[in-house]
Amino acid sequence: MYDIAIIGKGPAGISAAISACSRGKKTIIFGGDSKKVLLSPLIDNYPGLPNIKGPELMESLNNHLRKTTTTISEKTVLTVYSMGTYFSIQAQDDIIESKKVIITTGVNFKKSIENEDKFLGRGVSYCATCDAALFKNKETCVIGYNEESIDDVNFLSTLCNKVYFIPMTNIKNKNIDDRVNVINDIPKEFKGNMKAEELILENSTIKCDGYFVIKDSYPLTSLVPGLKIDNSHIIVDKNMETNIKGLFAAGDVTGKPYQLAKAIGEGQVAALYE
Amino acid sequence: MIINADDFSFDQEVINADKPVLVDFWAQWCMPCKMLSPIIDEVAKSLDGKVEIVKVNIDESPEAAYQNDITSIPTMVLFKGGKPVSKIVGFQPKEQIEQAIKEALDI
Repeated sequence: MYDIAIIGKGPAGISAAISACSRGKKTIIFGGDSKKVLLSPLIDNYPGLPNIKGPELMESLNNHLRKTTTTISEKTVLTVYSMGTYFSIQAQDDIIESKKVIITTGVNFKKSIENEDKFLGRGVSYCATCDAALFKNKETCVIGYNEESIDDVNFLSTLCNKVYFIPMTNIKNKNIDDRVNVINDIPKEFKGNMKAEELILENSTIKCDGYFVIKDSYPLTSLVPGLKIDNSHIIVDKNMETNIKGLFAAGDVTGKPYQLAKAIGEGQVAALYE
Repeated sequence: MIINADDFSFDQEVINADKPVLVDFWAQWCMPCKMLSPIIDEVAKSLDGKVEIVKVNIDESPEAAYQNDITSIPTMVLFKGGKPVSKIVGFQPKEQIEQAIKEALDI
């Protein structure tokens, strides 16, 4: 059991980890480097470090993080379950328990497919290994935004009568099961009444029983079931605590301004508040 | 008390039940279902007999899952007078499940 689990390895998450470790908390942090920091050519408003380059700052943050006792995990967190007095975190095939959780995932401007959220759990799933058995001997479709989605496609092809695969990433030279129908088109919208019945693409339409959307980061509503959100930001109080006791959020994910100094400060508050 | 129902006993335990029934559709291989299980036990305790809890294993009872349009698990369906009145898809914390039940049953 960890004292603090941090989801997202950007400035807010690393700041939280440094503060947590300084108080002797057993800490784990999930995720890869902040793409937003890495892609910043120049940051000119962080006090004391004028004109620092994004990649330099990321390296410096990582070096600082590695000097702490934080456990660093590259795994993608699928779901955080509030169990009452503690949290269970599903990170790919692992379950990790922690007394406190801090969400520092940043903001994701990537648009979901129209109605993806509406039909989640009603024909649309984010986890093939979780829900595949519901579609045994049926027809399924995978919309894959990362390489890992190929594993899901191949897994589904062993269970389902038919599997469509819409790769949204480069799949050249990848090993895809012969039974899979690869479709090169752009998904636009899910349509249906009670459940997702068809997927409208730019040039075609697919009708099947289940649709799996596989990507690197998922909407906050599916990351933490029961979490209160306002316009894609997590609602927090002045201690950075959310509507779920023991669950905190810090950085861009709590709202504007999307600035380094705010993220660093909020990460510290979230880590130190007891 | 928590009852396990299957395709054969579903009508008797759920549709023809006197009290409102919260049906938990689950499966052995489903991680969120495992997480939800102790929380449903807590919900049953705190609602103190106002609602019966029935668990349906969808692998053993595919017909019950199909009839209720279950496309993702866990899914909880609340029945009142034999009719579904509320559906909760996916894991939820205890407070949210209790609130959904209370709202649907006006208790």
